[in-house]
Amino acid sequence: MLVLLALFGLVRGPVEDRLREELVASKLLTPPPAQGAFEQMGQSALMGTLGGLRSLVATFLTLEAFDHFSSKSWDDLRQSYQIITALEPRDETHWVSVVWHLGINATANMETDERLPAFERKRRFKEYAFQAIEFAERGIEQLPESSAIRIQLAEVYREKLKDDCATARVYGDIIGLPDAPGYARRFHGYFMARCPGKEKEAYAYLMALYREGEQQHLPTLIKEIKNLEEKLDIPGPRRIPDADPDRPKKAPKRPPNLLPGDILIPFTREDLRRIHG
Amino acid sequence: MNAESTASNPPLRAAARPVPLFSPGRVATIASGTVTQLVRMKTFYFLLAFALVVVAVGNFNLPATPAKELSMIKKVSFGTMDLFAWLFAIVATALLIPRDQEDRTLYTILSKPVRRIEYLLGKLCGVLVVVGVSLVIMYGICATMIGARESLFVSAEIEAMAANGGYSQEQIDEQVGLIRQQGLRPELGLAVLASFLKAAVVAAVTIFLSTFASSSLFTIIVSILIFLIGHAHTMASSFWLHSSDNSLFVQMLVKVVKILIPDFQLYSFSEGIVQGEAVAYALVGQMGLVTAGYLVVFLLLSLLVFVDKEF
Repeated sequence: MLVLLALFGLVRGPVEDRLREELVASKLLTPPPAQGAFEQMGQSALMGTLGGLRSLVATFLTLEAFDHFSSKSWDDLRQSYQIITALEPRDETHWVSVVWHLGINATANMETDERLPAFERKRRFKEYAFQAIEFAERGIEQLPESSAIRIQLAEVYREKLKDDCATARVYGDIIGLPDAPGYARRFHGYFMARCPGKEKEAYAYLMALYREGEQQHLPTLIKEIKNLEEKLDIPGPRRIPDADPDRPKKAPKRPPNLLPGDILIPFTREDLRRIHG
Repeated sequence: MNAESTASNPPLRAAARPVPLFSPGRVATIASGTVTQLVRMKTFYFLLAFALVVVAVGNFNLPATPAKELSMIKKVSFGTMDLFAWLFAIVATALLIPRDQEDRTLYTILSKPVRRIEYLLGKLCGVLVVVGVSLVIMYGICATMIGARESLFVSAEIEAMAANGGYSQEQIDEQVGLIRQQGLRPELGLAVLASFLKAAVVAAVTIFLSTFASSSLFTIIVSILIFLIGHAHTMASSFWLHSSDNSLFVQMLVKVVKILIPDFQLYSFSEGIVQGEAVAYALVGQMGLVTAGYLVVFLLLSLLVFVDKEF
């Protein structure tokens, strides 16, 4: 009996190993979680994972993370997402959620939480923003073609760290990805224009976009080009003809036959003078 | 005279009809009896618990995108489906042979021209029919919930985007496509098949254990342990090897476990299908063949034990 079992085991071993590799390569099977994840898991999560309930454990932890979000327990939330992302590293939504929670929600909370002293809020603000960036980088490593993680990362750089150069770089990385949004190209240019030392490159890039046609002549694009024209001292004839979208439009010339009180007379003053003369 | 009487009177004992070596009809009869037996045990009641889980998950109100919410409903539903399938396969199979012994049905069956392999195969098929039917019903419940939520999310998204006015038809279609990607797709049926294949191997292992086990409880506990080890050994072996600095003893132990215990983790490919990955049909076919191999080997092992058993 044991011989039959062992023989079968020896035969199926290589077959199963090859099948596993192919299933992992086709993304149907998730590779084993990182060793660090095992150490961080609670007993129940560990048992669930070992028992083939990875999805269920990950979903349960997502609900737990939502609970931490509701109670603003950001460190517990990070801990939950460490395990969730280790269990399901190929689920893009986990990476996007954790970057959003830490990079946007936790940092916003640190901006407003009056219970903490100002220096501590500032320290934690940076800490959460950098943790979000770290998660995003790990997510991009797992899913190199994900634009959703990069969009969320760009939001952290743009809205929280006010780092225009990094924002431009991230939007630049999004261009060409399979599900890249159409605005990524423009945003790459807008933030590059605000990045010190990149003005010339940004001007060339935005002008190339401008030359693509009317559909690209959006107010922000024109505004950014106008700003760069001023900064780079571009000569008048080479400047774009569009009006600055932020400047108030000139009032139309008042017709000479329009009297105060908007009374329109059929003759101009010239005609009247001629008649009287 | 003598010759005449012999010709007119039938022989006192009819000549024994040859019994075929294997009869699918007999297997089907035992299988249908097993199905009836399991239905009478009110086993389908667990479907109510499943329906409750699905309805509860379907009504979670999380601040998530519709696609994420659908993905969560799918993951919980299919995870629970998988859990119920293998747990049911273990418990039902572990109860059958001891119950037949207790009820003395086993003696009646085996006193007839029924081969022991037919009995074992019939029992296994009966359990698999009940597991299969349960999985189909669970899939039906889950598909109804996913379909309902999907159409709700799609109409709400279209309405919201149209009301905003700033979106082109292309952008609306793109957003709807994202929701539909996590919605009800025909490939999900293969995830159910994966759970069925896993439950079939679990049932075969359990039937083997129950042929020599002294009690149902022992069979259930050992089967669950084997299932957990079978699921974990690939994950745990790298961890053990790392923590023991690749010690020879651990290496040997890992090899022995890998040879003796089925690798249940392979069947987790259903998770990839549920998450929306493209299905490699050839690989699913190969998994079917591996499962068939497990069923044949564990049935043969069961027969080796069961054939020598005195009742």
